[in-house]
Amino acid sequence: MEFLVAFVNFALAMWLAWRHEAPSAIYVFYAGLVLTAAIYLRHVTDALPLSF
Amino acid sequence: MDMSAKLAVTLNALALYAISGVLAFAFYWQFAYSELPCPLCLLQRVAFCALAVGPILAIRHGPKPQYYGLVILAALLGAIISSRQMLLHILPGDAGFGSPFLGAHFYTWAFVAFVVAILAAAVMLAIGQRQFEVVRPPATTAFERSAIWVVLGLTMLNALSVFLECGLSACPSNPVHYQLLG
Repeated sequence: MEFLVAFVNFALAMWLAWRHEAPSAIYVFYAGLVLTAAIYLRHVTDALPLSF
Repeated sequence: MDMSAKLAVTLNALALYAISGVLAFAFYWQFAYSELPCPLCLLQRVAFCALAVGPILAIRHGPKPQYYGLVILAALLGAIISSRQMLLHILPGDAGFGSPFLGAHFYTWAFVAFVVAILAAAVMLAIGQRQFEVVRPPATTAFERSAIWVVLGLTMLNALSVFLECGLSACPSNPVHYQLLG
């Protein structure tokens, strides 16, 4: 589920970058980066209470 | 040495084709050899998709240093993830995860690709000051527009694939079959 959200997030960032103003795409990009880092930390620690 | 905005846009389109090539080859390997991607492998694919946002912004809105910064951020995250997987299998006798390709596993190649992306963004920042002086972005060609559609399509295909692989629950650490396909 979490990977599905991450892929859709970056697909949305690409779509916004192509069809809309740059700031909206950049905000979505940063949100995706934070989400990806959170998923990575969850998988490398297993101790963080992150569940999607 | 300096470069025009038009040349920079063309190079960004080529970068998108390179990212699409990586994603497409990973797909080919997944289906041809029935090797489902593990969570860390999926994260590296996500990082490759993140790499594409900066070049799309540069093509659509004209090159800016900020967009190359986005590429470096995404590549750094991807390099951290792939180096983690390399370190997991670094002990002598460890066969690694998945099949090797040209003598190295895919996470090793991914690490190389992320380092190359960082170097490419750094070179674009270092030698191409004239590309940032344009007021209006150059008109896009079919070559650049198709690069965007291809990478966007592959990202959505990855979303579909991971949905079939994991469903709406957490992905298994060593997936062997598609959860939604029985």
